[in-house]
Amino acid sequence: MKILSISTATSNLSVALTENERTVAAAEETDRRNHSEHLDPLINQLLKQAGWQLADIDRFAVALGPGSYTGLRIGVTTVKMFASILNKELVGLSTLAILADNFAHSDQLVVAALDARNDNFFAGAYIFKNGQPTNVVPDGHYHLDKLLAAIKQAAQEQGKKNVILAGSGLSERSEALQAALPDLSLTFAQDQDNQVHASHLGQLARSAKILDPDQVLPRYLRRTQAEMDWHRKTGKPFGQDSDYVEEV
Amino acid sequence: MPEKKDVRILAYESSCDETSTAVVKNGREIESLVVATQIKSHQRFGGVVPEVASRHHIEVITQITKEALAEAGTNWADLDAIAVTYGPGLVGALLIGVSAAKAASMATGLPLIGVDHIMGHIMAAQLTDEITYPALALQVSGGHTELVLMHDPLNFEIIGDTRDDAAGEAYDKIGRVLGVNYPAGKTIDAWAQEGHDTFHFPRAMLQEDNYDFSFSGLKSAFINTAHHADQIHEQLNKKDLAASFQAAVIDVLAEKTVRALKQYEPKTFILGGGVAANLGLRTRLSQEINKLAQQPKVIMPPLKLCGDNAAMIGAAAYNLFEAGQFADLTLNANPSLELPYAASMLN
Ligand SMILES: [Zn+2]
Repeated sequence: MKILSISTATSNLSVALTENERTVAAAEETDRRNHSEHLDPLINQLLKQAGWQLADIDRFAVALGPGSYTGLRIGVTTVKMFASILNKELVGLSTLAILADNFAHSDQLVVAALDARNDNFFAGAYIFKNGQPTNVVPDGHYHLDKLLAAIKQAAQEQGKKNVILAGSGLSERSEALQAALPDLSLTFAQDQDNQVHASHLGQLARSAKILDPDQVLPRYLRRTQAEMDWHRKTGKPFGQDSDYVEEV
Repeated sequence: MPEKKDVRILAYESSCDETSTAVVKNGREIESLVVATQIKSHQRFGGVVPEVASRHHIEVITQITKEALAEAGTNWADLDAIAVTYGPGLVGALLIGVSAAKAASMATGLPLIGVDHIMGHIMAAQLTDEITYPALALQVSGGHTELVLMHDPLNFEIIGDTRDDAAGEAYDKIGRVLGVNYPAGKTIDAWAQEGHDTFHFPRAMLQEDNYDFSFSGLKSAFINTAHHADQIHEQLNKKDLAASFQAAVIDVLAEKTVRALKQYEPKTFILGGGVAANLGLRTRLSQEINKLAQQPKVIMPPLKLCGDNAAMIGAAAYNLFEAGQFADLTLNANPSLELPYAASMLN
């Protein structure tokens, strides 16, 4: 099975072509502010390198979120259109699961987190069995204090003393985090292991659930500020997205 | 003479709070037009919230693509190009259309065309009647108030622009004071038909020797009048307030437009943009143009084509297609894209 995998969730733009266990071609552009300009040309470059056509792809895979809202929408819109037009399979995975997958062969508790500013994180924790991730601290938007409490509890429940932390905004706080979790031994991921890699997505995508291209949306894990303010002010329920968009 | 092959373009528009797709034949015939509006969502906040808008656009993008093709009774193989608005507008919102159009272009091999949103608004006229050039367009919407001189279907120059608020923006702001739900234009226009200009608000820049506009002074005068009345517990007639506001807006728009028509003597006059749906403005401009010695052909597109829609983008894209002006896969959203200014505007 030929898979095209894309992550536009973080500042690291990552694209990979995989065929079964094999990564056929992969490329990354680090610290790009505008994935819109680079994504499609990068896909074409890899296809050319592999000698494939876009129509040869059996399954499109994308990092669904969390991550940069704008970034996520570029990747998700692109694969929705590819899968819809070419009538191919679409799968989407948690950005945090892909990030944690950098440690798929570890038996430690793996915390994956993306800095959401002001001591907040999009984060989750994973354990791996036979290379498959299980989400033991559910992916969510956490204040640092809540995240630490959740890590502590998950480590206890899973019987893990050693914890790996990967992603952004963590290694800068290594001393404070270690002090807050004195019973655990923390290891902070280095360099490339802090990045989301589409080649890992390509592996996870093989056993992922097939989604409907019309229905798939980014996993923002957070409502917009405007909606939260409106909800607080009016006490009204949020409602379904479909309540708000109508064809005229 | 061999018959010219028809050109069918699938167009996308997602610059603000409408997600739209259309199939347009030869830049003139609408074969399908789908518009998904988010007004209900943004009414919760009293105006368009960019992040909310972007989230709604992605919800519908694949469905409305299929609907546009189905409604036109066409499929990808019958199309000649894919077009998309790439600016100006809200960057996150624009990016949904741009990402979708580029992905569609890659998946189908069809060429890609990037369209300026304002050029699109003006080209709604091409879906209504034949434009003879040179033409002059008054483009009025929530984001823009511009007088545009069109030398041919591709070369446009701005000869007048707003110095501050757009006309549509001023409507929404005073609408808030009057307790009118966003978007306020339609209600204020209706009230204005029943009220009278009793407040005599200022007509900014009316005497100045240029084609620029300014609406922030009018907006302030309106708000001050309303607040002062509140403080002294005086009840003002909302219909007269609406009529007075609208009269001040229309006086300036009409006066500057007529002056430009006299100077440039275009063969066609086009009214474009969301505020072009305003009945007061349509009526007044028609009356003024009827008095001119040199009368241009007047094109005021039907209301459905005045608001944001993809058909107008398909119309503008056809002209770019004929000129061989295509985009490549590096096409990006440009939130502050601008038509070029005429040399006389650059001082
Ligand atoms: Zn518009």
